[in-house]
Amino acid sequence: MLSKVNPKQRALVIGLIILGILFTIFFGMRAFHAFKKFGGHRPPQQGKVETDVELIRDWMTISFISKMYRVPEREIFDALNVSPLGSHDKSLKVLNNDYYPDKDGFVMDTVKATILAFQASHPPPDSAPTAVSTPTASAAP
Amino acid sequence: MSDFFLTQVINYGAPLIGLILFLGALGFPVGASVVVIAAGAFSQQGILNWASATLIGLVGAVIGDMLSYGIGYYARGWTQKRFGNSPVWTNANQSFQNNAGWAVFLTRWLVTAIAIPTNLIAGESRYKFSHFLLYDISGEFVWILLYGGLGYWFGSEWELVYDFISNFGGLILGLVIFGFGIKQVLSWRERNKQTSSSEQGV
Repeated sequence: MLSKVNPKQRALVIGLIILGILFTIFFGMRAFHAFKKFGGHRPPQQGKVETDVELIRDWMTISFISKMYRVPEREIFDALNVSPLGSHDKSLKVLNNDYYPDKDGFVMDTVKATILAFQASHPPPDSAPTAVSTPTASAAP
Repeated sequence: MSDFFLTQVINYGAPLIGLILFLGALGFPVGASVVVIAAGAFSQQGILNWASATLIGLVGAVIGDMLSYGIGYYARGWTQKRFGNSPVWTNANQSFQNNAGWAVFLTRWLVTAIAIPTNLIAGESRYKFSHFLLYDISGEFVWILLYGGLGYWFGSEWELVYDFISNFGGLILGLVIFGFGIKQVLSWRERNKQTSSSEQGV
């Protein structure tokens, strides 16, 4: 049926069809699994205080986390033994590299523990913080 | 890379979103879609003003698209020299002109992986600039509103949205590639039919 078509063009189009099928199957399955994670999700209420510390990522800054979890910046900087001056715009990853280069994940763990401790002592309405082990702190260099 | 930009969006706000979307529209791997979804979440959390972020982001994306259209426009001499005599190239250009509006609109927000090639082809094939701009602005607006809106809706759990959207984009791209291949096979079949019926007629 396609015998009159240039063999190179035919091979290219067959390759495209196969690639399309592979893409569709691979990404279709991944999209389906990602969609299943939406199950039961409700949009967060306006003004609700975040309490799930597992949502903290190492690209976040202390200032951002402070607003997100309604914990004073000072509490977090004190717990890290880091001066807020010049550290407002630094991510947790950069802070960890700058102040605790030998302790991988120390800043992240300390921030989580500080937030949980603060929210436990100042409970926001309708929330129940989850427990996270407190890391052993040591002085900054 | 996108982690670095997310930190900077927190620090510098809407102007940085404009810059990231501008760079993304030129093909730099800055994770523009992640930033749009995250910006929606940041607006929900009170970190960003959604109106200024939308406006500046839209301006950045559209300027980037206009520039990549311009690159295609001025690369015409080279492509004409290289492919100008090829009937396949001429057909592809003609086919693009027939569906260019939809192509520009849909590649802004649905099949984003081929947005830049579409801009280049639009410029190269001399697709009318005013039409390009109209479809481009509409598509980018849908992109920012849809992706940013989902980020806003999901708030601090916006990464769930990104996970779904990035895979959904791959799924749509797969369907587009598959559809293109099937369309080509059907056109060959049609051509063969016409050839054999004209041969029988003779």
